[in-house]
Amino acid sequence: MKDTQAYIERIRRVSRDYQRLELAVDKSLSSMHAGQAILARRIEKDYDIQHWNPYLRELWFPVDILNRNIIVVERPAAINYQPGQLLSLLGPIGKPFKFRRKLRNVLLIVYDSPPTSLLLMLPALLSKDASVTMVLMGASRDYDTEHLPKEIEIAHAEDDLSWQDMVMTLGWADQVFVAVGPGKELHNFADVMRLVRQRRNDVPANYIFGVFQRQLPCAVGACYVCMLRAKDGAKLQCLDGPAFDLTTLHLGN
Amino acid sequence: MAVEITRPGKTSLLLSTPVMPAAGTVGFGDNYRRLVDYEKLGAIVTNPVTIERWNPASGTRLVPLPGGILVHTGLPNPGLRRVIQRYRQTWRKIPIPVLLHLVGTGAPQVKQAAKMLDELDMIAGIELGLDDDIDEDEAFRLVSAAANSEKPLLVRLPFYEAQQLAPAVVEAGADALVACAAPRGTARDAHTGRLVSGRIYGPLVKPLALRIVGRLRRRVPEEIPIIGAGGIHSPLDARDYLEAGAVAVQVDTATWAQPKMLERIARDLGGWIATRRKDALLDEWHPDMSQTEAAQGRGQF
Repeated sequence: MKDTQAYIERIRRVSRDYQRLELAVDKSLSSMHAGQAILARRIEKDYDIQHWNPYLRELWFPVDILNRNIIVVERPAAINYQPGQLLSLLGPIGKPFKFRRKLRNVLLIVYDSPPTSLLLMLPALLSKDASVTMVLMGASRDYDTEHLPKEIEIAHAEDDLSWQDMVMTLGWADQVFVAVGPGKELHNFADVMRLVRQRRNDVPANYIFGVFQRQLPCAVGACYVCMLRAKDGAKLQCLDGPAFDLTTLHLGN
Repeated sequence: MAVEITRPGKTSLLLSTPVMPAAGTVGFGDNYRRLVDYEKLGAIVTNPVTIERWNPASGTRLVPLPGGILVHTGLPNPGLRRVIQRYRQTWRKIPIPVLLHLVGTGAPQVKQAAKMLDELDMIAGIELGLDDDIDEDEAFRLVSAAANSEKPLLVRLPFYEAQQLAPAVVEAGADALVACAAPRGTARDAHTGRLVSGRIYGPLVKPLALRIVGRLRRRVPEEIPIIGAGGIHSPLDARDYLEAGAVAVQVDTATWAQPKMLERIARDLGGWIATRRKDALLDEWHPDMSQTEAAQGRGQF
């Protein structure tokens, strides 16, 4: 991990609610992999923080990496960013997602969260002709998917979290990644796991991964705010995550 | 420019710089080594350690506040014995004194922990943390138990009872006072809608803690050094503590928000920032400008 500066090179509105920022970053960040993130905060010209609100950095997952040390992040359109704005970045944070070697069908489930933490995997998966289905649950159903690659199949879940062809989709998927918003994440992951167990007798290891997006105060494993209870001991989202095999976590609290 | 942060005597502790991170902010060992130059700091204070293993708190652990945060982790740690096993080699490699923060859970436990720590030459001192609801008698017992150690003993006072407890803590054998632990507060978690209790961090804590340091300085004997802690987010904040009577400072969550600020404060108080060459790179002047490639720092992205 490094502490670096970046600036916003370009801003593009990609949907009603979201904009994409192209960030000129230190070269250490241009080799990030899907699953890794940065902690960002806006800074002033003299590299000082002028105010401490918000106090902590924001967790940003890149959605694309372009040439020339440019990474792309997706942010709510309601936030006012300006080209040339300076950022202080900490990263890369976390470990890349682990994909199975022979991956043909991938299911992405997004629950009460935008799918940004899962988007960086798309170019690589699609270039290998993998089929990708994205299911939007809860508040995620409001997410406008028009700007996502057309090869992705999008499904919107019902209020009971079921979706059309659910049994087939779950059976067909080689791997599932679930992203939920911070807050009731363990509860939401438990909901999804209950759904999966009802449709699959056997949920093998490394089949379904939960992607945690908690706000990280330190991101270096010092504060323990992001600690999770797993069957093989405590895990930290910032160092061991953000993706964890959901069959290995205690989702009870 | 060595600073003596404990009372004079055979266990006196000298630091090269009067700046250290507060307990609970930089982990047990070298988590921040890639982001902060430890050699510029005076010491490291570890995360809180208990004799027995403590599990993380369930439920909400972090609530953002305007200009600050509320944190409630439950002080998870694997217990003193395992902490020592895991980190003793790391501590040995850290180029500055390591102070172990011991949670004062009971006099027998503290006495046992002090005995274990006496055998570790890589631990330079003990910082004993007192519970917020402790009374003077129990504080006296805990500090007396820890004072059996041959290590320098710093005692971190709880925020609301700092002035009341200080005389008993000094009488029990504390070599220095840390004033003080972050105050406890309650805030609503926007995600769950529930009220959460925890410690409050942010710049607004500084004026409150600064007043406590000033009053303690007048109340406790001059030979007992006071280490100021709470809400320090700039070199000027740290200097305010020195002016109020502290000999050194502890920087808490500013390190999370801007890791280089810890080093910058240490450089400032340690006399590392002297002058600026006209053609100096920004990195050289603002250490918190970080590790961005020099060419990029000059606008050549």
